[in-house]
Amino acid sequence: MVAVRDTAISQLRRGVLEFCVLALLLDTERYGFELVRALADADGLVTTEGTLYPLLGRLRREGVVETTWRESPSGPPRRYYRLTPAGRAALGAFVVEWTRFRATVDALLETGAPR
Amino acid sequence: MSTDTLHPLAAEYLNRLRRAGRGLPRGRLKELIAEIEGHLSEAISPESSDAEALTVLDRLGEPEEIIEAEQPQAVAPRDRRGTHEWAAIVLLLFGGFFFGFGWLVGVILLWSSRAWTTSDKWIGTLIIPGGLATLLIALLPLGSSETCTGGPPGAPERCTGGPSTGHDILSIVIIAILVLAPIFTAVYLARRAE
Repeated sequence: MVAVRDTAISQLRRGVLEFCVLALLLDTERYGFELVRALADADGLVTTEGTLYPLLGRLRREGVVETTWRESPSGPPRRYYRLTPAGRAALGAFVVEWTRFRATVDALLETGAPR
Repeated sequence: MSTDTLHPLAAEYLNRLRRAGRGLPRGRLKELIAEIEGHLSEAISPESSDAEALTVLDRLGEPEEIIEAEQPQAVAPRDRRGTHEWAAIVLLLFGGFFFGFGWLVGVILLWSSRAWTTSDKWIGTLIIPGGLATLLIALLPLGSSETCTGGPPGAPERCTGGPSTGHDILSIVIIAILVLAPIFTAVYLARRAE
């Protein structure tokens, strides 16, 4: 039963992760390391930081984020990520769905019956 | 950016990532390596202690996990040292004793495995063709070149055409190379396919 719960939570986490990336980019652009550390520091969201880089690559290929290389004050150039209009739209749609989903689940968990 | 400016543990991690990602399309792997290399140089300085470096690497996760997240079917481990690879290594070493045929099968298995890079495969093929069996072929002329004739009673036997001291050293060196080189290659291939 514990294993089933772990799987469910990790699937849930995987499902929302890309929207958390988009949310972090809503007002500002960020470079990979900065994004990854921000996500990793959020409690319970990410277990291995390295697996976020493939996700960033996929979001770029899907056109929801775009990237620019910039020189870094120290070390190698940094790849900066920012939202595209498609990304902004995807995030907006997710926020609506998530708010409804969260309210429904919370209500079920708290009262044992749907609102 | 050169890996010279990375902490040694970070450089080793990147090499593991490169090896694990051999199944990925070249462009994707290059992009991923650049990102992870950037992460490592941000998080670990060349002067960091090993403990600090290991903490960062632990947070990053195993290279295989990262490759699997990039493209689940591209993970190299599934094609690592299995029966196929062991068969290739054993046949490259001993297959020559079966009329050379076994060695050829070893070469085919070597080139058909995705556990090795192209340069590994060339090393496996060229050092040394025929494997240990080549030693036998090399030893044949040495054994047959000496002819001895009996002298008068009491006199020592006289031999001609036998190897001189210079030849002896050369022969020992050649034999050592023919024995050791295929063994080193087998060990190298086994380690590279880990």
